[in-house]
Amino acid sequence: MKSSPLPRSNLYGLLSLIYNRELTAETLRELKKPEFRETLSKLNIQLGGDFFNKPEEELLLDLTLEYTRLFIGPGRHISPHESVYREDKEDKGLLWGEATVEVKEIIEGAGLEYKADYKGIPDHISIELEFMQRLTKYEHEAWESGDREKACRCLEYEKLFLESHLDKWVPLFCDKVMEEGKLTFYREMARLTKEYISLEKRYVNELLSDSPKAGQIVD
Amino acid sequence: MRKISRRGFLKLGAASAAVLTVGSKFTNLAGAMELKKVGQDFSPITNRERKAIPSACWQCVSRDGIIGYVEAGRLVKIEGNPKLPRTNGKVCARGQAGVNQVYDPDRVLYPMKRVGKRGEGKWKRISWNEALNEVTAKLRELRDNGHPEEFMFHYGRMKASSGKIIKSHFLAAYGTGTIGNHTTICEGGKWVAQELTWGKHYDINDVTHTNFILNFGCNLFEAHTSHVPFAQRAIKAKAERGVKLVTFDVRLSNTAAKSDEWFPIKPGTDGAVVLAMANVVMSEGLFDKDFIETWTNVTVGQLTSHLKKYTPEWAEGVSGVEAEKIRSLAVEYAQAKPGTIVSYRGAVANYTGVETERSIKMLDAILGNIDVKGGTCKAVGAKWKNSFKKPKGHAKKLNILNGFKGDAAYPNHHISHRVLKMIKDGRNGRPQMYMVYCYNPVYVNGEVQENISILKDEKLIPYYVNVNPFYDESGSLADLILPDATYLERWDWEDMVSYDQIPEYYIRQPLVKPLGEARNFADVVCEIAKRLDINLGFNSAEEFVKDACEHTPGVKEAGGFEFMKREGAWYDKKAEPLYKSYTKKLNPGDYTGKDILFDKETGVYWNWKKSKAKNREEALKKGYTDTKNAYKGYVGQKIGEEVFLGFKPDKVNKSGKFEIYSKLLEKKKFNPLPTYMPVPEHQKMKSDELILTTYKVNVQSHSRTQNCKWLTEIYHENPAWINPETAAARGIEDGDRIRVRSHLGKILTRARVTEGIKPGVVAISNHCGHWEYGRYASGKIVNRKATDVDASLKWWWRKGEHPNYLIANSPDPIGGQLRFMDTVVTVERV
Ligand code: SF4
Repeated sequence: MKSSPLPRSNLYGLLSLIYNRELTAETLRELKKPEFRETLSKLNIQLGGDFFNKPEEELLLDLTLEYTRLFIGPGRHISPHESVYREDKEDKGLLWGEATVEVKEIIEGAGLEYKADYKGIPDHISIELEFMQRLTKYEHEAWESGDREKACRCLEYEKLFLESHLDKWVPLFCDKVMEEGKLTFYREMARLTKEYISLEKRYVNELLSDSPKAGQIVD
Repeated sequence: MRKISRRGFLKLGAASAAVLTVGSKFTNLAGAMELKKVGQDFSPITNRERKAIPSACWQCVSRDGIIGYVEAGRLVKIEGNPKLPRTNGKVCARGQAGVNQVYDPDRVLYPMKRVGKRGEGKWKRISWNEALNEVTAKLRELRDNGHPEEFMFHYGRMKASSGKIIKSHFLAAYGTGTIGNHTTICEGGKWVAQELTWGKHYDINDVTHTNFILNFGCNLFEAHTSHVPFAQRAIKAKAERGVKLVTFDVRLSNTAAKSDEWFPIKPGTDGAVVLAMANVVMSEGLFDKDFIETWTNVTVGQLTSHLKKYTPEWAEGVSGVEAEKIRSLAVEYAQAKPGTIVSYRGAVANYTGVETERSIKMLDAILGNIDVKGGTCKAVGAKWKNSFKKPKGHAKKLNILNGFKGDAAYPNHHISHRVLKMIKDGRNGRPQMYMVYCYNPVYVNGEVQENISILKDEKLIPYYVNVNPFYDESGSLADLILPDATYLERWDWEDMVSYDQIPEYYIRQPLVKPLGEARNFADVVCEIAKRLDINLGFNSAEEFVKDACEHTPGVKEAGGFEFMKREGAWYDKKAEPLYKSYTKKLNPGDYTGKDILFDKETGVYWNWKKSKAKNREEALKKGYTDTKNAYKGYVGQKIGEEVFLGFKPDKVNKSGKFEIYSKLLEKKKFNPLPTYMPVPEHQKMKSDELILTTYKVNVQSHSRTQNCKWLTEIYHENPAWINPETAAARGIEDGDRIRVRSHLGKILTRARVTEGIKPGVVAISNHCGHWEYGRYASGKIVNRKATDVDASLKWWWRKGEHPNYLIANSPDPIGGQLRFMDTVVTVERV
């Protein structure tokens, strides 16, 4: 069984973009295009009538305020940072915890670096999703060039990061967004995220147990 | 739940490609991904290097030296800096929990602009550029209209170089003098008493060398403006030399508990006990005649006759402390010489606080304990030198800083808790722009409800900016929040006074970069200045600190900025404590000159040019005492045929003598000699009424540490302390829900029935009941379900009650101090 990592990568990219910051008009227009809408509705994702019918400016403001209320605050909000959720760590409930350092090290260990103008904290959900986007893209390129060993190494990385990080907190985070979100858009995106992570975890595991270890791949 | 199929996901993934093309500019990772072998880079790296960086604490105003340990870019631990003798390398729990300030999950990480109604809680994040455009447009408008004073800047704590940069350079250059502080909610009354008596404020109890510590209303083992340095030396004196510590307090604080003797005393009556002790000292002939007759402005006879009426028996009736105890304690204290009297909010934050502190300083003076080894000494701190010129010129100000006419005779430190009322009143003008910095006016002052309604009212305050690393009660009402760096992310030179009378120079440097888009406000004002075409001469707080390290004698020779970054601190190892500085003789050259006048009435030599006198004639005619700001030109004090440095005045035109007799108070119709002024409201109390007092504990500072998880996990509830006798009369048992009511309103809380408090008093700490300030302080989390992760990260739910709803924003009549310790209340079981 050979994976098709490019769409996987794109979906990670999409989710990363959604959580990265308030939507821009440009992104919103893309999201509203009929092709995209169709794909979403086939998936049973309903962004609500408002999303497609409200005047753009109004919708954009609604989405901005909702993004702010949910993920920024000030005050009561749903922190989009991993370390705040990691009960298994000693410094739980605080920003920039041990988990954050691990995330940063894994990402940097993979040869990536945080852009100099990135002002956020290293374990922001959009960063973690972007990292998965990059990993899966890299996997795709490996398969394309026939480098199975590399592709499998990518898969190992994906598995590790999914299991030791995303899966440890993103479902909790998504539950909160689903419960607390006032706009369908963010609730549905959270649902999508949660299901996707769980599917991805299963999928990557399946794939790795199917595939012989790197170096001994028989297609 | 509607399940999504894998096929569906892949389709969506394919469709996402288009969205990503437009969204690609928002990615945050860069570089090529070169994967290495699995396992090689994943394992947690052992032996990670921990960088140790010296800096300075800010969890309370003591500002002790610290060392922060940074591991992989993350601050993991804070300890004391052993290079500073002030703390000998120790910090308190709050200092250690500073880590939590940086990593508070509810920190404000971006500039936030209000979108809904004021206080509605609707916000939008904006860029710094947008935020500063908005702020500077307003500042420019006010300045161009000729009313820079309509920009009011109100800070709570702003010290050392931050104060210099923001206040002495930026605000001065901009031209507003409408600058508020918060001293009257702390200990303003104590300072005013000292300024009327011995000049400069801040007293150091030289406990390292003392023989006796007499304490009125100070919880020095838990909270003090020099907490660790003082507590450390006091406990050492007790443990190693058996120095006696006697505490007067309404409550059995941990200090009272560690004292040799604790006297529960009725609130607002410490002064009576002190005066009675002075009475005993005089009548028993235990006084220091030489000091009284040489250095004070009273005679032994004058004092004896003034104090005659303050007998121990009289004081017993007033305070509840046995006359015999007062008598024997007075003798013991006098004979133990040198002794030192400690005092703080318990004694001074009430109606008669200034007189109490004056009495205390008098008692130490008549025993000759002033500024001697082991006595009560004047503060010595670092004197940093910067090369940047301070802007000159007159800053206009709105007359709203000192309260209403008649509020206080000498509001030397302003009356900050009256500012909002003054704005509401409006007769002296209103700021068009109100900016607060490290200050939570809603929560820290009395009359919380009124504070909220004034800040909420856009007619009273048209534009309000909150500079804050966190979202507190006052921030929630702002129009714009500028995310400030925490103290662990910024630069400062520090100058807190020393407990060994040896100046210690130390700096605060960033342990980590400010989180998110937070920026140190001292840097932000440099940018605002540029946008307003103001040339400050420097571009950042770092540059300012560096400049001071390169220009301050001693620090410079030690190695300047590089040395300070490495070591964190410098002091002269050969320096000796400077006792009795008032005895320094001046040479004739020091006090002669064409602008120096001699004032016959007081014996003061002064330079009239430094005062507000228009000319020499006016200065001569009005004299030293009656010329505005004459104290600024003080040169020396004539005593006999010689001239001495004396007790240099500050803020008021006091002479160079130790003024037990205050002409300045006499002029304002107060008794010139230290007097007991009973709290008026206490004289007409009904039998069911009690006195509410407040206090602080060792793991919290007043209002700013409750966001620290480690601290609030320890202390998050503040039940009202009440004596069993008082409780029984109201049918109250330990743990009962009770209602505490004052003329301003009521709060519901719980009773802690304990012998550790004087009957007739109820004590509620100042640290609890936040309704904002993050999840740990306020309990505000998104989901309170027990199964939710938020719930498991925080096991406690009670958050205590805030007593300030019950306390009036009323000032003491001399210094303007907020009367935190004398509110009349009723208490009943719910
Ligand atoms: S006493 Fe504690 S909180 Fe205050 S400066 Fe020292 S270490 Fe910091």
